[in-house]
Amino acid sequence: MAERYPGYDVLAKRHTPSWNAQTRRVVDERLAMPREPRFFSPAEFRTLEAITTRITPQPSHRPPIPVASLIDDKLMRHRHDGYRAASMPKDGEAWKLGLRALDAETQRLCRCLFHLLDPARQDEVLRHVEAGDAHSVEWGGMPSQTFFRQRLLTDVVRAYWSHPTAWSEIGWGGPASPRGYVRMGYDRRDPWEALEARGDDQDAVRQENRHVG
Amino acid sequence: MRHGATLRAARRLNRASAVLATSVLLDSAVEHDRGSFTNRAMYTPLIVSALTLAISAHGTADKRPAAHRARQAVYAAGAATGLLGTAFHLYNVLKRPSAWTWQNLFYGAPLGAPMAILLAGLLGTAAEAVRDNPPHRARVLGFSAGRLLSAISGLGMSGTTGEAGLLHFRGAFHNPAMLALVTIPPVGAALLLNAASGPKDRNRWLARWWLRLVAWMGIAGVGFHIWGVQRAMGGWSNWRQNLIDGPPIPAPPSFSGLALAGLAALGLLDDHPDG
Amino acid sequence: MSDDPLATPRGKDGRAPDVFRSGGWVPMRQFAETETVDFLIVGTGAGGGTLACRLAEAGFSVIGLDAGPWFRPLEDFASDESEQTKLYWTDDRISSGGNPVQLGSNNSGKAVGGSTVHFAMVSLRFRPEWFRSRTLLGYGTDWPVDWREMWSYYQEVEQALKISGPVSYPWGPKRPRYPYRAHELNAAALALAEGCEAMGIAWTETPLATLSAPHGLAHPCVYRGFCVTGCSTNAKQSALVTWIPRAVAAGAEIRDLAMAGRIEVNDAGRVTGVQYHREGHWHFQKARNVVVAGYAIETPRLLLNSATDRYPDGLANGSGLVGHYFTVQPNQAVWGTSAREIRSYKGAPSLALTEHWNYDDNKDFFGGYCYMSQGPLPQLWANTLANGRGLWGDRLMAAMQDYNHQVGLKIVGEMLPQERNRVTLADETDQYGLPIARVEYTWCDNDRALIDHSLKFMTQAMQAIDCRDIWSQTDDTCHMNGTARMGDDPRTSVVDTNCRCWDIPNLWICDGSVFPTVGGVNPSLTIQAIACRTADRIRALSSRGEL
Repeated sequence: MAERYPGYDVLAKRHTPSWNAQTRRVVDERLAMPREPRFFSPAEFRTLEAITTRITPQPSHRPPIPVASLIDDKLMRHRHDGYRAASMPKDGEAWKLGLRALDAETQRLCRCLFHLLDPARQDEVLRHVEAGDAHSVEWGGMPSQTFFRQRLLTDVVRAYWSHPTAWSEIGWGGPASPRGYVRMGYDRRDPWEALEARGDDQDAVRQENRHVG
Repeated sequence: MRHGATLRAARRLNRASAVLATSVLLDSAVEHDRGSFTNRAMYTPLIVSALTLAISAHGTADKRPAAHRARQAVYAAGAATGLLGTAFHLYNVLKRPSAWTWQNLFYGAPLGAPMAILLAGLLGTAAEAVRDNPPHRARVLGFSAGRLLSAISGLGMSGTTGEAGLLHFRGAFHNPAMLALVTIPPVGAALLLNAASGPKDRNRWLARWWLRLVAWMGIAGVGFHIWGVQRAMGGWSNWRQNLIDGPPIPAPPSFSGLALAGLAALGLLDDHPDG
Repeated sequence: MSDDPLATPRGKDGRAPDVFRSGGWVPMRQFAETETVDFLIVGTGAGGGTLACRLAEAGFSVIGLDAGPWFRPLEDFASDESEQTKLYWTDDRISSGGNPVQLGSNNSGKAVGGSTVHFAMVSLRFRPEWFRSRTLLGYGTDWPVDWREMWSYYQEVEQALKISGPVSYPWGPKRPRYPYRAHELNAAALALAEGCEAMGIAWTETPLATLSAPHGLAHPCVYRGFCVTGCSTNAKQSALVTWIPRAVAAGAEIRDLAMAGRIEVNDAGRVTGVQYHREGHWHFQKARNVVVAGYAIETPRLLLNSATDRYPDGLANGSGLVGHYFTVQPNQAVWGTSAREIRSYKGAPSLALTEHWNYDDNKDFFGGYCYMSQGPLPQLWANTLANGRGLWGDRLMAAMQDYNHQVGLKIVGEMLPQERNRVTLADETDQYGLPIARVEYTWCDNDRALIDHSLKFMTQAMQAIDCRDIWSQTDDTCHMNGTARMGDDPRTSVVDTNCRCWDIPNLWICDGSVFPTVGGVNPSLTIQAIACRTADRIRALSSRGEL
């Protein structure tokens, strides 16, 4: 996939009026987050990492966003959604149960742990879970499709897009306070927004995006 | 040889044009930057107003009682730019959804803005024509120069009031001082139009003082707008947004420019009541 | 600021945070717990915050309790979706039924200022006929309120919040000009406008509770687009920066991080005050009157949790309807991808809207809807693609690359109030030891018909503006109302026209729970208008000695 916003980095705007002190503090904390799991066991974490690689696959040419660590961190701090289906346990419990059940499901289908499967088979397993087609006893009363949507997909996706690398990738303006935006119409961008590459102009756009700020 | 009064008036008009040109140069630079100069033509008012400013400075210092070719050319270009600009701005507004709406008048290209360079051009052209008179005469295009210039300044002042009033309405008149804009200059315009059409031998002390008031209002406006920019979110540190989204700092002196032109016109009426 | 508003209360020691000045404080009256105040209000959002202000300004002694923190937007709010989840009610709740409702960030705030701290600022008036939906339009229930009365209260709220709206509004009876002018439309809003023109219907700039010009010490909007995660500009006119500062200036006390647990009732069946949890232990505040304004889940929850021998089914529940008729609004959307750059993250989420289908009765279902332009931030958008469209893996990553080209239309519509949709108490307890709320929701056929109509129409509108890859987000709801409905008859309602509980004369309810129907517009303006009206009603009753 050719980059749509080559050379654009929201972090380059850290000391412009687009970022304020509290935003820097919050993002710095996130970037400095420890990678080792503190909520999940090492085995659970391995499964989780494999899952995140399938849900939000990342390009290999840049440092990866630590999606699994972000989820681990969130659960350790008890940052929950504030509601759940009647059939679901609380967020942290749901994850542990779900990871255990997923590995059990994989054992049932492929006689192997999830993280050891090849990507195509991993996707197959995830699709079973998504469709509610998971029948291992480890699921207990928790419907696999509800786990997939309410916890797995939701938490993975939000963790990924909580990271500045993801923001830069999609050309989002990023943090914006006190400075917001001026030019709001079609095909308009402020000088502190990302320039989109349109085809074979990657290098020129990369140059331009280096000066965005 | 009585060139004195006409020369004085002409130089005053050059100065008035300079003030208007300065306002246009700075204001159009900011506003066309907001527009990202997406159309190459958007550089034109910057270039033309810069030239107008330079040439008007030249004219203000020039004591020769004769029109100057280069100045005439630049002023003509200014007037043309104003007319073309108005057409472009009109097109910009009309192509938006629903065309004639408040939203498009507020946020589309400001319809009245190019008028400022048109006026700078007209006043400058008149300045050259006034200068070009033989002694004891002050006529432009067959009209009494005093009357004609009073009319142009008066109409210009009304138009500028309309444009600025629209923008203060968009700002919701949230500060009572903003009402000054829609009360003081209209009276000034009325006094000028009265001078243009009324009896020739009058002591126009009220018009004179009122125009001075308008001129000072234009300066005070800069102060208010500076206040408005610094109290916006992020103040000066957010200048790249606030200079554009906040009240336009270079805009108010266009009233001062018109007031100066009006005072020059009144001077002509006093010195050459018959033209 | 070194103090953490989530850990330490700020409304104490005779002072309150000055939300307009970094690190500033304003003096705040402080009542002793043993002092019996005239009005103790639980919840300081669109209902409770407004009422606290108006009652304090009328000379009553008022305390407002809020379970949430007292934020200083200028300093506490970061430009970060994850960090800003601190604005939402994320205590445990169960959501079930045939069409379970999303709670949390979707519709539940926890802060001084309530859900107005995270709302999208859309400030719309009810269509007058909706106050008589049963009589005039054949569905739902009539409100015990006349639309002409509401019209003047709408004006009061619009003036107080300096609503930025169009110079003339295309629908409904004439209304006075909005105090401030509408904001500039972003590309997403222009797309809505073009779509409406192609479909031959009217559209307008959305009246928004965010400033387009300065007001007092608040800054005008800078179009940063983080509105629903908290406005750090103070342009958003939430209760936190409008009604609450006025309330404090008029002598009210606001206690933040104060979770109400139980309303106490005496032997005569009148309320005497509220048990609340603050700074680690339980307190009791005496009051002559208690107002419950916790929004449509916490209000019935508190009433149910306050059950006594005399009121075994909870307070104010003679009708048995406390918690019933929980009604949300459909929030379905149609999305597409434009060849042009939209970058909808700039500006407020909903800068343009059409209320055409609220005023056109040529439909084969009851109720109406409006639809508006959208500008989701990355996490919200990614979640929409994942959960709403079923994308994950490479397909999700590819779709997210089009973020700056996505454009959409989203409805706020009317669902019919159904008794079976309700809030009850679950067996589990929360961190305060209180039984948690369980919400059950199932759509009816009319709801589905309205949703289908809206999706078809919006799809056509999107096609008309040359979008590709158009898809429908079929399951989304917003807001919540109805669980303590107003009415004329104590058998079929919980409160009367004065928002006073039929069963207990010194217990009142003043929030979205009182809505008998929800209409096809966002509820915030109506909730605040009802609160202003309730304050006037209370004043009238008081002057007649009927309190």
